Amino acid sequence: MQHEPSLFARLARRISLVLGIGAAILVSAAWYYAETAADKAYDRLLVGAALQMAESLSVERGALSARLPTSAFELLGLAERDRIFYRVIDTNGKTVTGYDDLQNPAPPDGARDAVSISEGIYKGEAVRIARATRVLADPSVTGHAYVVVAQTNEARSALTRELTLRATILVVVMSFLAFAGAMLAIRYALQPVERLGAAVRRRDPHDLTPVSVGVPRELDPFVSSINHFMGRLNERVDLLQRFIADAAHQIRTPLTALSAQIDLLGHDKLDKTGRQHFERVQQRTGELARLTNQLLSHAMVIHRADSIQLEPISLVDVARRAYRAAIPITVDPDIVISFEAPDDRPFVLGDAVSLREAIVNVIDNALRHGTDQRLEVRVRSDALDAYVEVEDDGPGIPPEGWEKATQRFATSKSHEGSSGLGFAIAQEVVNAHGGTLGFRARDEKSFTVILTLPLHKGPAK
Amino acid sequence: MMKRFTAALIATILALTSQVLAATDNHTRFPALQTETGKLTIYSTTDLAAMKPLIDDFQRTAPGISIDYIEYLTNELHALASEACRKDEPLGDLLLSSSVDQLLKLANDGCAASHTSPETLRVADWANWRDEVFGFTYEPAVFVYNTRKVPPAEVPRTHVELADLLRERLDYYRGHVGTYDIRLSGIGYLLAFNDARQTNTVFGRLLESMARASAVARCCTGEILEEVASGRLYIGYNMLGSYAYDAARRHPDLRVVVPRDYTLVLSRGALIPKSAERSDLGAQFLDYLLSERGQSIARSNAFYFSETGGLPPDVDGPQNLKESGIAQPIRIGPGLLAVQDWAQRQRFIEDWSRSLIELNSPEWTRE
Repeated sequence: MQHEPSLFARLARRISLVLGIGAAILVSAAWYYAETAADKAYDRLLVGAALQMAESLSVERGALSARLPTSAFELLGLAERDRIFYRVIDTNGKTVTGYDDLQNPAPPDGARDAVSISEGIYKGEAVRIARATRVLADPSVTGHAYVVVAQTNEARSALTRELTLRATILVVVMSFLAFAGAMLAIRYALQPVERLGAAVRRRDPHDLTPVSVGVPRELDPFVSSINHFMGRLNERVDLLQRFIADAAHQIRTPLTALSAQIDLLGHDKLDKTGRQHFERVQQRTGELARLTNQLLSHAMVIHRADSIQLEPISLVDVARRAYRAAIPITVDPDIVISFEAPDDRPFVLGDAVSLREAIVNVIDNALRHGTDQRLEVRVRSDALDAYVEVEDDGPGIPPEGWEKATQRFATSKSHEGSSGLGFAIAQEVVNAHGGTLGFRARDEKSFTVILTLPLHKGPAK
Repeated sequence: MMKRFTAALIATILALTSQVLAATDNHTRFPALQTETGKLTIYSTTDLAAMKPLIDDFQRTAPGISIDYIEYLTNELHALASEACRKDEPLGDLLLSSSVDQLLKLANDGCAASHTSPETLRVADWANWRDEVFGFTYEPAVFVYNTRKVPPAEVPRTHVELADLLRERLDYYRGHVGTYDIRLSGIGYLLAFNDARQTNTVFGRLLESMARASAVARCCTGEILEEVASGRLYIGYNMLGSYAYDAARRHPDLRVVVPRDYTLVLSRGALIPKSAERSDLGAQFLDYLLSERGQSIARSNAFYFSETGGLPPDVDGPQNLKESGIAQPIRIGPGLLAVQDWAQRQRFIEDWSRSLIELNSPEWTRE
């Protein structure tokens, strides 16, 4: 199966990509605004200083004179680390005072504002230049005089940097919060998927009923697909079981007839070889009948497990009935058979028919394959559970085969006429009742099959 | 165009004269105490006497460094340094000048190297511009008087009192009051300009009174202090506190008054030229000047006043300059560019000359 990255990783990647791009855009915007703000702030100083200087221009004795106010320089000095260049130009374009190589920027066409601002380079440094125009209308001096003030950009850059840095910190913190929040939200949102997965995983393999875990709307199609699939599977299994049951049922009738015919045939008329064949046919027919019965009983047990409502029943009664049914009248009289039950009659929640079938199968198994001289059926209980124990003095099953013994058709004794369905049926039933099937081997002469069922604590019916 | 030419001409003449002078008596050499590892060249306007204790002590901390100490008048030094900066030629490793406005102009023109160190961080805000120009002293502008000539009742303690005294006792003080000739002295101009900024009316009155009293203007602090000590002058106005106090220690008749209305405080500036060959040594000496050790030597042996401590003994003045708010430090910052504006300077000096000199021109001699 090709391994797809997890939903969480996909979402995390895309969200962080979006957040990263967003953060980059925000930081760029913050930088742009910071630069604008810094320019605005320091341009005011520059313009203020230029205007103050322009204001200080006067005409004295027929010549332009400038009394540059200290306050103008101190105003510019508010940008603490910036160098200041200035130039006062008279109406003839001559420098009155200041740096006479400072450029006099021509304002954009048509602009006749009192103050214009531009960028420039002076003494190898980028500067911001403000030019204030003063219109002189003195009889001796007429025209435009200019005050050009330039300032380096250190304070602006510092302010821009600081503002941008702060905004960046905010953006980064915000992005991280958003990312963390999104991750938490995704985890939370993906929980139903986990829950659904766990519910499906925990399911009993035989449970083909619809999944009933509550899921968000988005997962409904998925759940209904599962349920639809399970429904089909269930139908399929039902069909199969019904087919087996029908087949077993169909086979039983001719089989019974066959048995009767064989019995009628009689073996007296046969010679020795013929008699041997006859006995083998008889034996095989018996096995076939038994297998058919077991298949039927298996199908019945499964059917009942799915459909029958469990109710409190007395385990002793069920076990006794099973005991009676399982021990044939023709049993070898040398075998010591006993049934033991406690006085307190433990109750379990169960289906009497299935349970009896299970116990019958276990006893039958013991009779056929285990018992040599002794067979004991015991019912007992403790605080939590009730037990049905079937003990015989046969060799039993070696411990390494215990697990396999409960699987269908997995017996090691098929040559002895075992279909291998006995323990499987018992296991099926006990499991359906929430119990377990276990084995105990005490020594060579004692092997016990134990059906453990949870005790019913409520009122008996 | 003409102006630039003139400036260049002046600078060249100054450069030439300075070279002649350099060969003669303004050049002092302090050999290294041990094997020489470096040579530090200091161009200064500060009197050698004030700087010598500092240089000696510096050499004790750095015995491998020899020092060439070259002295100029403030305006000469400024012209030299501007010229050197324009041509990008080295001129010393450290410039020391009491005319901080000139240093500030140099820094503004991009002639200074920036220097930061733990020591420069201790410098007060008003005494540091761009980490390029540092003020390393704290020198109030004071009055001095001769106790034999000025009776105790008449000792002026504010600028107004001085103006009034000169008006009331005009005949007695006529020709016996001295101050800087701001045409010649950069410090004189800086102090006068800031006086005018502090209180225009008081300064106007004072200038007028001094003019009536035929105040004499001298190029340098030393001359006036000399004359006050000798009794030829009775009162000296706007003297640098360090020189005045040093003179007062030597002449018992000389007394120092720190004005109680406002006191301008000048901080001598130090600047490392951008073109310095051994700017590291310049920085090292600068750090020494600003260090605890250098400051304490300066307080006890060279400049006597400090921003934090009280006034030195025997000085007539407010208890603590800084806390009383009387001290008006001349901020080392772009405001000084206005002081340096040559049109401004020209007009201010013209006004000053007209008030002070022309009124009593027969009395005024340049000497």
